Amino acid sequence: MSRIRLLGPREQLDAVLAALQDTGLVHLAEPKSGELLQRISLSEGEARQTRHLQALVRDIEGLPLPAGPDRAAAPEAPARGPPDTGEFARWARSANRARRQLTRLDRRVHELESERADLARFEQFVTAFRGLLPNGGGRMQSYHLILRGEDTQAVPRLRGALSAVLGEHFALEGADLPSGERAALLLVPTAETARVERMLAQSGVHELSLPAGVESGSLGMALPALAERREKLDRDLAELARHREELLSAEGPTLVLARSAAQDRLLELGAREHAGITPRSFVLEGWVPAAAKDRLTRALARQCGASIVVEEMSREEWRGEEAPVVLTNPRLFRPFETLTRMVPLPHYGTIDPTPFMAVFFPMFFGLMMGDVGYGITLAVLAGVLHARSRRGSVARAVAEILGPCAAFAIAFGIGFGEFFGDLGRRWFGLRPLVLDREKALLPFLGLAVAIGFVHVVLGLVLGLINAGRGHPRQAVGRGAALAMVLFVAVALLAGLQVLPRSFFTPAVIALLLAFPVMVIAEGIIAPIELLSTLSSVLSYARIMALGTASVMMAVVANRLAGSFGGVVVGVLFGLLFHLVNFVLGVFAPAIHGLRLHYVEFFGKFYSPGGQQYRPLGHWRPGETEQPLPAKGIT
Amino acid sequence: MNPVWIVLAAAAAISIPALATAWAQSRIGPAVAASLAEKPELSTTAILLVAIPETMAILGFVVAMLILYRGA
Repeated sequence: MSRIRLLGPREQLDAVLAALQDTGLVHLAEPKSGELLQRISLSEGEARQTRHLQALVRDIEGLPLPAGPDRAAAPEAPARGPPDTGEFARWARSANRARRQLTRLDRRVHELESERADLARFEQFVTAFRGLLPNGGGRMQSYHLILRGEDTQAVPRLRGALSAVLGEHFALEGADLPSGERAALLLVPTAETARVERMLAQSGVHELSLPAGVESGSLGMALPALAERREKLDRDLAELARHREELLSAEGPTLVLARSAAQDRLLELGAREHAGITPRSFVLEGWVPAAAKDRLTRALARQCGASIVVEEMSREEWRGEEAPVVLTNPRLFRPFETLTRMVPLPHYGTIDPTPFMAVFFPMFFGLMMGDVGYGITLAVLAGVLHARSRRGSVARAVAEILGPCAAFAIAFGIGFGEFFGDLGRRWFGLRPLVLDREKALLPFLGLAVAIGFVHVVLGLVLGLINAGRGHPRQAVGRGAALAMVLFVAVALLAGLQVLPRSFFTPAVIALLLAFPVMVIAEGIIAPIELLSTLSSVLSYARIMALGTASVMMAVVANRLAGSFGGVVVGVLFGLLFHLVNFVLGVFAPAIHGLRLHYVEFFGKFYSPGGQQYRPLGHWRPGETEQPLPAKGIT
Repeated sequence: MNPVWIVLAAAAAISIPALATAWAQSRIGPAVAASLAEKPELSTTAILLVAIPETMAILGFVVAMLILYRGA
């Protein structure tokens, strides 16, 4: 990163900010304060414009508009000049009008849907009692009641209460509705309606209200009317949906454009707060990738003329902690930046762990899964996900991470001689080339711990390099700790007679010599950290534990499938068991692989707390704060 | 040594850490779920926090295997 300072005539500040927005290269920073520099505060008009633009954005984002063009395909700069105040006002009126019309339409849709639901309920009721409903007139009054379905005693209880009031002068029929509720039809003499209604109100029984259009006339004859009304409602709802669609397609493109323009203008107004001004000039400071500085200078000269000075500040004028961080990796490693970004970014100038993750994470995953069959299945899934995801999306990154994981799983599967557990052995005579995970548990444990040792030592080496860049005393301590870990390993291996026995005594003497150096350089906490480092190595035993569990589950699936009498049932059971094992075999290695990196590996060198590089640029759909780096500058 | 004791020792070596892990995760799980409801960006930390006690069960498994192998 280079820290730059932009100087120019004050009246050109807006033009420079617009040019910076077009180039999308500069992460603005606060200028060093000085007696002559003043901060810009928004004028009354600008503050009012900010409020109006925020309201416009809120209005537009409240509309169900499409997300906008694909971010990757979005132009880096608007095709035409910035909109003026009149255009913003016109857009604001359009957004407001569209919002009001949509609200009206949605309210009407809600009313019609509610009526349709009532109608369906009543239709069920009328259908259930079709033979009993009076045909109008007469001396009987009917009540249509809905009771809770789970209360099986509701009808007998109601019958008892009615008997107490009316004696035998009523008819009550119950029926279960398809909706799960219980309906009841009650016929009482017209003269008794007042008493009955009072009783119903006291007992809390819900009377089904009559839908609009069938309040009058015979309920027994209501079915055709209900069907006709329902058809009318369906037609009205379809018409409203069409209206809604037309409204959105008519206003949508303009409002999407308006949102982008409003967000752009808000970003520009926000960027003005980073400027320092004098009566005649302005100063802007910021960060730009070193390789892009010349491009920025050319772009500013082209858009704003020769009066703008771009000055690179010397390294003594800024501290590394202030600089934003951008991860820059080869294409092959870039998907793994997603995993690095899951923890806070590293400090500027420290080591980016992405390349190491790109190598070790798929390797650990493959060691734990270690099966040709599962690996091929995972590769197919990764291919499908890759084909169905958009470039630059998280799903695409996941697919690109799963690809190498699947490749390692297949490679280790060949080494372990596994194809869906022991099926490969039984069907194709597949034999383990490296070790048999089903039987050679101790060698597998040794392999896992050895890999862990290499990984942890690599972490310590990276920590040593990080410390060597600015903290010599810390570097000495880290070096001593690294040496002690190596001496402990040599002493242990010599003690176990893996190395010649004669190595033991020199290793112990070296340990005794390195210990005081480590304590002097790193403090009294260093011995505790050394123990923690050794326990970190043991933590890699999980690779063996999960790998063994995976192969055992697969073998059990095959044996259980074979133990069933019927072939079809056996195959189905085996497939189900393998599916469960596959799902576990993807999640567990992923989580534990990440844990081994974030806790055991990163803990040795990683220095989190870096500030993300967010250059001033044009707003893109999906962004809520500031734009991300422009293309080609990652 | 009596094989029964070896098997019992291996069983204790895996089961006690597994119970401890289960207890720890039962406390961590609800806490991280509550945290995630307020701050979804903590999902990585949440996964790590839930996965950390599993080390006990895994090391218990390794010790159990060593006991069985040494006993055999």
